[in-house]
Amino acid sequence: MKKNILVFVFSLVSFIGFSQAEFDKFEDKDDVSSVIVTKKMFELMSKVKVDAKDKEMQQYLTLLKKLDNLKVFTTTNTKVATEMKTSVTSYLKSNPLDELMRVNNDGKNVKIYIKSVGESSTVKELLMFMEGSSKEVPSVILSLTGSFNLDEITSLTERMNLPGKDELEKASKSK
Amino acid sequence: MKKPLLFLVFITMISSCKNEPSLQKYFVDKSESKEFISLDLGSSILNADKLSLTADEKSALTTFKKINVLAFKNDDKNKVNYQKEMKEVKTLLKDKTTYQPLVKVGTGSAGASMYFVGEDENIDEVVLFANKKENGFAVVRVLGNDMNPSDVMKIISIVQKSNINLEQFKPLQKLLE
Repeated sequence: MKKNILVFVFSLVSFIGFSQAEFDKFEDKDDVSSVIVTKKMFELMSKVKVDAKDKEMQQYLTLLKKLDNLKVFTTTNTKVATEMKTSVTSYLKSNPLDELMRVNNDGKNVKIYIKSVGESSTVKELLMFMEGSSKEVPSVILSLTGSFNLDEITSLTERMNLPGKDELEKASKSK
Repeated sequence: MKKPLLFLVFITMISSCKNEPSLQKYFVDKSESKEFISLDLGSSILNADKLSLTADEKSALTTFKKINVLAFKNDDKNKVNYQKEMKEVKTLLKDKTTYQPLVKVGTGSAGASMYFVGEDENIDEVVLFANKKENGFAVVRVLGNDMNPSDVMKIISIVQKSNINLEQFKPLQKLLE
């Protein structure tokens, strides 16, 4: 019985944790490719035993423990891209995040926002919006929640081959 | 004294029957249907005895029971059923207390998602659900007994190493044609 209650509480917590629900509507849209990784997956991945000598892997697993949810939505459809922009704007209105950086090159407009705790370098939420200007350059929403350090996540973006890794790397260095 | 005990056992039996995951029931129901292709693969499919495995890998393998596959081929005749069955599977998997979502990827017309049943260190089942508009959909259940994440990874690596007897997958090829 106790287990049931625990499960219930956990599922409730995970519901509350889903602050990025604003973007969930893009999940089932045609012309949108999506990747969603849940906290559970990160937890399970971090429990895989690895060679203790592999420092890089160890570091990566420590990072995984600190992550909650990862969502990436990509589209080349200009109409959907406009919807994404509106969605990001309205999300930022209800959930104010600090703008970390803004890059404009190669026909893409990248904005990165974070929510940090006080003065510390711990990031609770990271939102990146890449606005593509043409069919060749897709628009991307990347949302990551948890409790992590900005310089740590470059190892994630590299390993998972996520979009915008160059921009994120720059952002973590400038901090 | 004995009677209440028996009664208790009886009640537990009934209630445990009811608690049986409904995906299991879905598999049993649909394996009879002509529109579905169902496969039941035991651990022997890995030809593990022919591989030289480490002690760790061997112990991982003991936690693995079998793989169940249920696939639905989409063609012009059963478009309506395709939508219906897809919806049914999706509803079953929405039960977040049983099927904890892990990863989901999609491109609009195709998608795949992964769930697990159990607890972090005691995984009972890993469920894969994949669909593609032109081909149909497939549900894969990897059943085990208290698998832990390392075991799952090891089983995957064993699968890669082993020369899987592809003959058993023949029915699935029809899906991809």
